[in-house]
Amino acid sequence: MENRINLRDGLIKQNMVFMSGMLIAPVIACATTLAKSLALCFVFSVVSFAAILLCRLIPRTIVYTVRVTLYTVAAAVFYIPAAILAGLIFGEQVITSAGVYLPILVTNSLILSKTETRFYLEPYGNMVKDVLAFIVGFDLACAASGILREFLASGRIGGAEVPVLFTIPALETTFGGFLFVGIGAGLFRAVYNRSKKRAGANAADDEDSLAEYAEDIGEFLVGKRARSEKIRIYKAAAGKAKNENELLEMEFLSNRDVLAAFEAIVNEGQEIENNTANSEPAEEPDPADSGENGEKEDTENGSVS
Amino acid sequence: MEAFLDVISAALISIFAQNMVLERALGANVLLYASRKKEHVLGFAAAIAYVTTVSAPLIWLFDTLLGESGYYRVIMPLLYVLTIAVIYIVTLVVIWRFFPKLFKSLKKYVHLSVFNCSVIGALFLCSQQGNDIFGYLGYGIGTGIGFLVAAYLLYAASARLNSPLIPAAFRGYPIMIVYVGILSLALYAFTGYSTSAL
Repeated sequence: MENRINLRDGLIKQNMVFMSGMLIAPVIACATTLAKSLALCFVFSVVSFAAILLCRLIPRTIVYTVRVTLYTVAAAVFYIPAAILAGLIFGEQVITSAGVYLPILVTNSLILSKTETRFYLEPYGNMVKDVLAFIVGFDLACAASGILREFLASGRIGGAEVPVLFTIPALETTFGGFLFVGIGAGLFRAVYNRSKKRAGANAADDEDSLAEYAEDIGEFLVGKRARSEKIRIYKAAAGKAKNENELLEMEFLSNRDVLAAFEAIVNEGQEIENNTANSEPAEEPDPADSGENGEKEDTENGSVS
Repeated sequence: MEAFLDVISAALISIFAQNMVLERALGANVLLYASRKKEHVLGFAAAIAYVTTVSAPLIWLFDTLLGESGYYRVIMPLLYVLTIAVIYIVTLVVIWRFFPKLFKSLKKYVHLSVFNCSVIGALFLCSQQGNDIFGYLGYGIGTGIGFLVAAYLLYAASARLNSPLIPAAFRGYPIMIVYVGILSLALYAFTGYSTSAL
């Protein structure tokens, strides 16, 4: 379980800007120059990393209503040194021009929802790596936005003039930011899907990852009673519940709902197991079939993934 | 009468000219979630309007008392978060105690509609734009209505935005963001824009 962490999730597959859209406001409205985007990255990284690590210590027995409040308060406390340091590193002018987009980072979805649906369900070592992958994924997307928009809007990079044939000044604006992020997200997904197809792992990758995740949670739920022979059962269940997983990623459900959803997956897995045992031992559910079902459902519902 | 006009003008500015989502991109990710269902559109807008409006007088008090302090800029998020947290918990306790049915239907997403960048961002905008307590209140009310307008426009188009005619890579989140960008561009007609490069 310790080695199973997939760093690609945070960096690419669930990239917070281009894939899941979990934190886009600062990138759209503020990451218009390299300096501002680096200031955003710095404050986001410090606040998120420190708050997530600290809040792991908050007992799960505390109700979610209070827990989520404590997460935000912790992030706001860490914002104080982060903002002071950012002022010293990047200069007060950059911090002032970033306006409200630095302080709003204390309520980012990585701290408020990803902790409950993902990070705090993982062992501590895995969680640290996973959090870092998500943070670096955001930082890269934000920095890329800053560099490209500054270059395209004003023919500069980091304030230095760069020879350019034409400029698109509207990229400095909020609507320019929306269009940039929207088109960027579409292209990012297209490249990602193509690379997956080229690797010949189009369906298997998603299913395996979801199945592994479901297995981990399954083990967590049934008190680590899940055994290797159950892996295929959980894979099948996870494939069928693909929409549920998408939902968990996007809809920021509370921890209780996450557990309920995965309990349903585990129950379904056990039902399949029982049915298989009652019929023929050779006819175990085929994960590929379940994946197809999941794909169909996904398209029909038009879910955002 | 003057106070009432202050509230109305601040509210109108925050709905149209400085719409929180379309002009500032605040709460864009919440907008994507809220626009999936009609009930969510109304629920989120009501929660955002409620929290920003109730918080506004307290925020005004902090700004008036501590605004001159050198480090106020860095402690603002903490004060604002604490304000939101107190309102959130007190409101939930009251609803849980007196309206258990409503509590059941709200509890699934109420934390999302309260702790998000649209609410805290709106409070920062109140602080920047509101001159007096009435301005703060108007901005708080207008923020929720502005969110409602943006979310409803996205909700109304969501079926077409998920059409199979749209390339698969752009379907869902990317095309929704592009659509919000076009709405945002349309809203610039209220204010116009200038860039440093022009």
